[in-house]
Amino acid sequence: MTCRLIFISIILFVLTSCSTKIVSNNYYQEQKGTVDSIERRYEKLNPLNPFSLAYTDKKFNIISMEMISDTLTRIYEFNVNDQRFADTLLKYNYDTAGVFYLIRKMKGSKVTWINSFDYYVNDQPQQLIILSIKPRTIRYIFSPPRYIALAYFRTNQFFDEKGRLLDGRRTKEVRKIKGQVFYKITDRICYTITDKYR
Amino acid sequence: MAGIISSKKDALEFLHKIDQTKENDQWPNIKPRLFYDNLRLNLEDHKSFYPGRSTNFCSYGALSYLVMENDPLGYVKFMNELYEKGEATFNNNHFKPSKEVMKAAGTLKFTGVLDIRHAEQMWFLVLADTFKGYLNFFNKKFHEGDENTFWAAANLSKYNRMVSEMCNTHVKAVGSDLIKPWVKDVYGYLEKRIDSNIVSLYINNRIIHKKNHDKVKFSIPTHFIILRQIRREGNLVTLRYWDYGRETEMQIPVRTLKKIIFGIITIDK
Repeated sequence: MTCRLIFISIILFVLTSCSTKIVSNNYYQEQKGTVDSIERRYEKLNPLNPFSLAYTDKKFNIISMEMISDTLTRIYEFNVNDQRFADTLLKYNYDTAGVFYLIRKMKGSKVTWINSFDYYVNDQPQQLIILSIKPRTIRYIFSPPRYIALAYFRTNQFFDEKGRLLDGRRTKEVRKIKGQVFYKITDRICYTITDKYR
Repeated sequence: MAGIISSKKDALEFLHKIDQTKENDQWPNIKPRLFYDNLRLNLEDHKSFYPGRSTNFCSYGALSYLVMENDPLGYVKFMNELYEKGEATFNNNHFKPSKEVMKAAGTLKFTGVLDIRHAEQMWFLVLADTFKGYLNFFNKKFHEGDENTFWAAANLSKYNRMVSEMCNTHVKAVGSDLIKPWVKDVYGYLEKRIDSNIVSLYINNRIIHKKNHDKVKFSIPTHFIILRQIRREGNLVTLRYWDYGRETEMQIPVRTLKKIIFGIITIDK
């Protein structure tokens, strides 16, 4: 009886303690061209008529779009092939071709979410764009999902010796975005591994 | 609610007469300009309250909406006194925040526009520091970063108590923190009340605002909103609600509506 209990405990410990492993350690370098082009296209489209896009299913067929106007945010979910999606984009004056380009590229590179964030430096508004990617993972039962989030800043950022994003030039304070520490890829792009895509 | 106690005009006149340049060492990180500009914004657009990105302030955001509906002058007088004296009373509720909270107000970062809204930072932190429920049991004292933790969380009965005490009004709620309300026709229930009352909902936001691709999710409520409109076409319900400083419109199937709602709070107008 005791042996069985120990055995069950070991199995449970193994199942719950294994964290999800991302197959590639070099996702950004492998997909650099595509993800950078997604970010650039979004950066062009978003100021004209703000929005965010998220693939909410594993097969990348269902898209959730937040359409942000001065007075109202509309949140609609569509099948990407649904005529209703194109009709809605037209109705609210979105660049239909541009948005469809984005969602095709996002699906191809497993980008699950793209959004822009406002933040403040010396009380002045700044913007960054966040992309979440659903990488290939080895996942154990009960282990959480894993996503790679890329943050694209408009200006060069400051990092410590461990590559952690800092709050500013004259501080050692680590800047957290949505509670996560971000690490340097380039002077203005950084990444984190997270269990939520947004 | 207790009815309209004061007007926006009264509140703006009061604000206009105040010295808006004074600093107060008790609130070392509050910038007077950002504080008073924020109060003016709250008065000019009482739906502008923004509880911040990735914080647990949504219940206090919904409460702000209700407070500003009927007593903007009370709000601005309270905030001014709180800033000047470090303690103040609103509708017989006395607020004397901890030193940690007073130090934190004005320092919240990466929360969106809340970063530069020093009056709202003060308001949300002070409310969270004062009103406590069982979710706050293991984390009652503020530490840096607690705006995202259980320190700031609110359960349904805490929210009802806050609304009742701060707005001096009658609150009727159905539902709970774990079990959905025993209402057969949720749409009908909401439609019947929305014109004659203010309706607030306690919802599981994770179903409609998914954060991962797992199909199995804990079914728990996470968010408070103020319902503004509801309409139905066939199997699809369109909700228009207020949260995070603006209105949002969303279409969901009737089945999902029932699935996401854990609490329906009806507040007398």
